[in-house]
Amino acid sequence: MTTTDTVVDRLRARIGVDGSAVTAPIEAGHVRRFVEAIGDPNPRWQKETPPTFLVALAPASSHLAEAEEYGKGWLNGGNRFEYLAPVLIGDVITATGHVADVYEKEGSSGNLLFIIFETEYTNQRGDLVARLRGTLIRR
Amino acid sequence: MSARGSVEVGQELPELVKHPTPRQLVQYAGAQGDFYEIHYDQEYARSVGLPGVILHGLLKAGFLGQLVTDWLGDRGKLITFEVTYRGVDEPGHPYRCRGRVTNVDGDDVELEVWGEDEAGKRTTVGSANVQLDR
Repeated sequence: MTTTDTVVDRLRARIGVDGSAVTAPIEAGHVRRFVEAIGDPNPRWQKETPPTFLVALAPASSHLAEAEEYGKGWLNGGNRFEYLAPVLIGDVITATGHVADVYEKEGSSGNLLFIIFETEYTNQRGDLVARLRGTLIRR
Repeated sequence: MSARGSVEVGQELPELVKHPTPRQLVQYAGAQGDFYEIHYDQEYARSVGLPGVILHGLLKAGFLGQLVTDWLGDRGKLITFEVTYRGVDEPGHPYRCRGRVTNVDGDDVELEVWGEDEAGKRTTVGSANVQLDR
C-alpha cells in the first residue's frame, strides 16, 4: 500500500465522525475586525454577523493535519452556507464539524485530494442557526 | 411598493470593486484566524507553486456576501450563499464583484454572483437564495 492510499484511507475512516465541538461567544470587537478586514461598513454588523462570519468562530479546523502528508499545499475549493436563524452579537455559538467525504481526482498537474467538511452551528438556546459545507483540496 | 415589486429576473446587482492589498490579507488572516502562509509569505507561496501570495477564498466570499447584503438591504433575508473558487487572485489588482437575479418565485429570489479579475475572468462563482419580506 502506498503512502497516498494510507492517508486517504485514514481520512475516509473519519467520514461522519464528529470532531470536538467548539463553543465561542459572538463578540462585537471580533465582528468589527472581521468586517473591517473585508471592508464592509454596513452598520447592520454592529448587531448581527455578516454572511461568512461563522468561519472565524472556530479555528481552521478544516486544515486536517494528517492530510498534509498528501501533496504540498491546500486550496479552498468552495463554501456553502445555509442560514436558519440570525446570529447576533452576544450569542454563544457551538460549532460541531465532521468530514463528510474524501476522494481523489486526477488534475492537470497530478492528483488532487478533496475533503468535504460539514459544520453545524447552534446557539445558546440549542437552535440550529447555520450549516456550512466546505471543500478543501490538497494538491 | 413591496420589496418583491422591484426585483426582476435579469436585474444586475450594483457592482462592488475591491482593491485588496497585502495589508488587507494580513488583516483578514487575523480576523478569520487563518494563518496559512500562502496569504502573506511570498517565498512560501511560490514554494507551493503559486505565483505569489493570494487572496483567501473566504475573503472573496466575504466580498460577494457584501455585494448581496448591500443589494438586499432590509428587504429580506439570506437563506443560502454558496461560492466555488476557480482561480487564484493576487493583491494589488482590482477585484470586481457582480451578480444578477436569475429567478423570482413569489418571495423567493435566486441570485448568481461572481468575482472577476482584471482580465474579466470569473475566479469565483456562486449563488444565493434570498427570501423577501412580505
